[in-house]
Amino acid sequence: MITLSGIAYAYGEKIVFSDLNLTIPRTGITVLSGPSGCGKTTLLRLLAGLAAPARGEISGMPRHPALLFQENRLLPWRTVRQHLTDVLPRTRRGEADTFLRLIELEGEGALHPPALSGGMARRLALARALALGGDMLLLDEPFPGVDAARAKRILLRLRELDTPVLLVCHEEGLLSQCDRIITLHQREWPSQR
Amino acid sequence: MTISSICRNLKYIFLPSVLWLGVWQFAAHTVGQELLLPTPVSVLQTLLVLGCTPAFWHTVYTTLLRVLAGMLWGALAGIALAALTYASAWCHRLFAPTIRIIRAAPVVSFILFLLLWSRRGSVPAIVAGLMVLPVLWESTSRGLRETDGHLLELAKAYRFSLWKKIRLIYLPSALPYFFSSAASAIGLAWKSGVAAETICLAPVSIGLNMQQTKLYLDTPGLFAWTAVVVTLSLVLEGLLTVLSRRLERRWKV
Repeated sequence: MITLSGIAYAYGEKIVFSDLNLTIPRTGITVLSGPSGCGKTTLLRLLAGLAAPARGEISGMPRHPALLFQENRLLPWRTVRQHLTDVLPRTRRGEADTFLRLIELEGEGALHPPALSGGMARRLALARALALGGDMLLLDEPFPGVDAARAKRILLRLRELDTPVLLVCHEEGLLSQCDRIITLHQREWPSQR
Repeated sequence: MTISSICRNLKYIFLPSVLWLGVWQFAAHTVGQELLLPTPVSVLQTLLVLGCTPAFWHTVYTTLLRVLAGMLWGALAGIALAALTYASAWCHRLFAPTIRIIRAAPVVSFILFLLLWSRRGSVPAIVAGLMVLPVLWESTSRGLRETDGHLLELAKAYRFSLWKKIRLIYLPSALPYFFSSAASAIGLAWKSGVAAETICLAPVSIGLNMQQTKLYLDTPGLFAWTAVVVTLSLVLEGLLTVLSRRLERRWKV
């Protein structure tokens, strides 16, 4: 279990969390939902170690999570395949094709990001996070621009990876594919079901 | 490239050249004194006579080496200082004012001062480097500052090594800025390098030959040597453009 106790965090004057207490299982696929601005992305950044809480403690977090940022953050000067080989260890660079197949971008390895559609670029960003190979996946909205059927197929493949996933997701159709949903409310206590 | 586009390019290059040569010829003809303004033909003749002597090529080669050496050390120092001043606020506070003073100080001050400290032959390379350094420091620094913060955060989250961060993020971000000012830096290196050769009478140099044209009132000779410097500068600029386009294609910047 990942435990967040008494977490406080603010961007300047804007308080995001004043006393957040939450437990997140380290198995299966957990969805983090809630209205815009409730702190889902901030929570992922705290878990990834990119931001430190002003108060409170996070325990039980794996050492090397792989974070998919809310923005694609692709390098316009690297090809699709290079995005994957850049994060794969030297000995595993041959596995780039496996990840391309996983997110259904096989055959597009030589393209550069400006040549990709919005959905393809998002899938590439997801593949790169997967190729990084963390001991937990923190995915911030991986499927905008991706058609529902394909998103469902990719989510099923993610389950097969056997790595715990914490997913920020707004697509109603995908929620049934996940193991549990944690809903964050605007500066309120989270509810779990 | 089609024949019509080649013809169009030639037209754009040759027409202005022919026009300006005509203006020069007309002005020289009007003045009527080779000492004050030589004709293009007499400059070309002087150039052809010079080009037939091995000493001319040896002189051009020596000056070219000096200017290239100056550009190289100036560029390397400019890039290294840009990296330092970007990485450390303390280094920025230490070096930035000094570099700005170097940029503002008259080139002749450096030439005369360096003449006291080093050999005549070394002064042009040192001075050319000193002129190149602030320009490339400024542009490279701007390129580094403009690096996308999101990509740097990605590099941190994805545990990129320093080398990978430089190769994949900093270099492609800073190179367009570097190349945008490199062409002006080449021009500055030639101007200051040849000026230094002229003032400190560097042995076997274009600057020394220019100084002698003044002594012998050889204005066509002055124009001929100037044409050599301009041609070399333009050739280097052209090579730089080819290199920058290749790198831009590689990185798709």
